[in-house]
Amino acid sequence: MTETLIKIQNVSMTFETRKGRVEAVSDFSLDIERGEFVCIVGAAGCGKSTLLNMLAGFVQPTGGSISLDGDIIKSVEPRCGIIFQNYALMPWMTVLDNVSFGPRLKYISKKERHAAARLWIEKVGLKGFEDAYPGELSGGMQQRVALSRALANEPDVLLCDEPFAALDAMTRQLMQEELVRIQRDTGKTVLFITHSIDEALLLSDRVVVMSARPGRVKAVYKNDLPHPRKMEVQISERFLELKREVWDLVQEEVMRSIRERA
Amino acid sequence: MKNKKNFELWQVAVIGSVGLIVFLTVWEGAVRSGLIDAFFLPPPSAVLKRMIQLSTGTDAVLLRDIRVSAVRVLVGFALSALVGVPAGLLMGISPTMRAFFNPVISIIRPLPALSWIPLSMLWLGIGEEQKYAIVFMGCFASVLVYTTDATMRVDPLLSLAARNLGAKRLQVIRHVILPGALPNILSGLKVVLAIAWTCVISAEMVGANVGLGFRIWTAKEWSDTGQVLVGMISISITVLLLDILFRLVERALLPWQKHGVHR
Repeated sequence: MTETLIKIQNVSMTFETRKGRVEAVSDFSLDIERGEFVCIVGAAGCGKSTLLNMLAGFVQPTGGSISLDGDIIKSVEPRCGIIFQNYALMPWMTVLDNVSFGPRLKYISKKERHAAARLWIEKVGLKGFEDAYPGELSGGMQQRVALSRALANEPDVLLCDEPFAALDAMTRQLMQEELVRIQRDTGKTVLFITHSIDEALLLSDRVVVMSARPGRVKAVYKNDLPHPRKMEVQISERFLELKREVWDLVQEEVMRSIRERA
Repeated sequence: MKNKKNFELWQVAVIGSVGLIVFLTVWEGAVRSGLIDAFFLPPPSAVLKRMIQLSTGTDAVLLRDIRVSAVRVLVGFALSALVGVPAGLLMGISPTMRAFFNPVISIIRPLPALSWIPLSMLWLGIGEEQKYAIVFMGCFASVLVYTTDATMRVDPLLSLAARNLGAKRLQVIRHVILPGALPNILSGLKVVLAIAWTCVISAEMVGANVGLGFRIWTAKEWSDTGQVLVGMISISITVLLLDILFRLVERALLPWQKHGVHR
């Protein structure tokens, strides 16, 4: 029995700019089940980040509604923890303080929040770095800190905004495997935005392809590739087939967006 | 390719000392050879002798002057920071506050501290309060502007991340804006501390009966160029020592920043 956790209904978002109205997202609908890993792929500027900001409650849609567990999202929603592309760690806090920051804001005792944070730090493989400052860590390690910071705040959903885009290829591969492992361990619902089709196929249960601006749902693919998605899977017939299908759609949108901008 | 050679600390110290010695030797030589009249510019040896005279024996006024001037600087500076930092934070956070106060600040800020001397003497005489007031007026607007700027420079993504973790508005200010702005506030204060010294020295030259500025000015009246130079060098040394002290405070407050690397 599956249960819908996030319900995005006919959401649209228009901005007023000096050059006139811009429609970033238009009539976007999607249901996400509890425990599901959904990847959204789309061309640059297709409104992926706008969608994520609406889910986090930073901005309100100009049309339609988004609900989480039955409640319409009307303000900043801490139940949707974000992993930013640029980590967004507090440079003046140690790893331990960063990871226990969410619980600290809820006035949970130091002992309790540090104990919980240590567990998460260990889970993302950073044991021994509790007292380091973010500036002393590599990009991949900083993103691990960001991941454990989000998880320590016990969100229902992880919103990932191209979190591995700034990492080198090998670190990215490791982080992807780790994220899948943690997601399967914790059963967290993940909404992951990326422009890499490979990444989407490696991580997700479902792939949502967004159209060029204004962003709509262009297609949804059930990703039935078997876990763990090691190299054999990545060169399998089915992987390539899915990749081609998704790429054909994305390519169409990229071309359309280039034509429109020209 | 740029030639970027990184010296060890001791190497820097050795090279620096050599530079200093060369400078002093050329100065000494120029006076002794008669190239420069010792009346207009006494040689370093004479300045040193005068400095020892002024800091020992019955005539030992120098240390008291340094102490008095330093206290004036620190009190005035502390007052301006005490008012300027919170006000600057407020202005950095609130666009309304910024719009409200900016015109007034823009009028006060370009005024040199010296221009406050007539009014301040009229209001406060030539006592300590007047010195504090001069330093305060010379520093306050700068502290305010540096702090406002530092507050506005805090990466908005960090505030967003904190709100996403559940931070309320005041928590964002306390846990993100304040620590995020601190490094730039401190480097602003470091600049202002130097301004505070120029304020005090100017104020002491115009109306005072103790302090380094007063000592330099009276020396000029008696054509005691040696004492003028002693006063000037005392300013340099005191400012240097305060700067070192300030850096130590900075290090203690900002343990996450890599030191030695200028950013």
